[in-house]
Amino acid sequence: MTSPARVLVIIPAHNEEDSLPGTLAEVRSKAPGVDILIVDDGSRDGTSRIAREHGIQVVRHPVNLGVGGALQTGFRFAVEHGYDIGVQLDADGQHDPAYLNVLLEPVLKGECEVSIGSRYVTSTGYKAPLNRRLGMLLFSGVVKLALGKTITDTTSGFRAYARPVMQVCQHDFPKDFPDAPLLITFARNGFRLVEVPVVMRERVAGQSFYTLGKQLYYPYKNLLASLMALIRRPV
Amino acid sequence: MAFLSRTQIVVAVGAVLLALYVLDLVRRRRLSEEYSLLWVLATAVIAVLGFSTPLLVWITNLLGMMGAASTVFAFGLAFAVAMLLYLSIKLSRLGFENHTLTRDLALLRHELDELRTRTSGEEGK
Repeated sequence: MTSPARVLVIIPAHNEEDSLPGTLAEVRSKAPGVDILIVDDGSRDGTSRIAREHGIQVVRHPVNLGVGGALQTGFRFAVEHGYDIGVQLDADGQHDPAYLNVLLEPVLKGECEVSIGSRYVTSTGYKAPLNRRLGMLLFSGVVKLALGKTITDTTSGFRAYARPVMQVCQHDFPKDFPDAPLLITFARNGFRLVEVPVVMRERVAGQSFYTLGKQLYYPYKNLLASLMALIRRPV
Repeated sequence: MAFLSRTQIVVAVGAVLLALYVLDLVRRRRLSEEYSLLWVLATAVIAVLGFSTPLLVWITNLLGMMGAASTVFAFGLAFAVAMLLYLSIKLSRLGFENHTLTRDLALLRHELDELRTRTSGEEGK
């Protein structure tokens, strides 16, 4: 690319008024060259207001759609506004913007279309609870089986997407748990995936998207969706 | 099969009343013609089975059912399952459309806000 690539950091936020100021300040100080978009996913607190006070653009869903819906809105925004790369970053402070450059590098170099910030490529000190670890093992196996490629951290929500990927995703994206099945869909559409090592932190405040009911539904949904991603014709 | 007649009458009358109610819902525009079709067909089938004992017995023998009443209930149950599946499909589609609309609305709203800020800024100059 001759001119510097335009990067949009997409932050899906649902009731994140407590953690948002810190996250925004950190992105601005550690990655000054990027634009930020908050997708307020039907929050009932001051998420949108805080974003606006920080001078950040906000797209607000009138109702809660889930993290997938929020990302999809972000992708469409990025495509419509001519961004070359979209980065998915959690509002809760889990993802350190200091790793943005590491995450962007393989996409910028044209080595891949999707870059995944992974907790497990090298030992980064992250210890997940047992159920989470089992799930990761299972879905890492599913991806390996489907693609013959090892993705250790299928549930990482810290990813960078090249424009062609966002062009596909703006029309078709899982409405929840955009993990293993999504990665399979990417590979089936000819997009290359690369994992880069990052360190993730504990969430600062707010509530996780993953409640108990969702934890039970997760394996069912993503096993079925993985199978469907494998047998569906690529777009 | 004389002992069935009372059951048959109850089933048949119920089916006719239900059909009338469904048609009335359509008349009052509270139910779309599309959704009424399955209901009208189902009530018609149950009414016919209820009135015509020979037909009911013939179908019962054909399907190898234990009793004529089972046939009526089997048809009713089959209909209920079909209707539920149909509704699940419709619901999934509605949810999908709802998602798309919500996203579109959010993006348009953002654009409108931007335009308003820009024009009000120009007016201020």
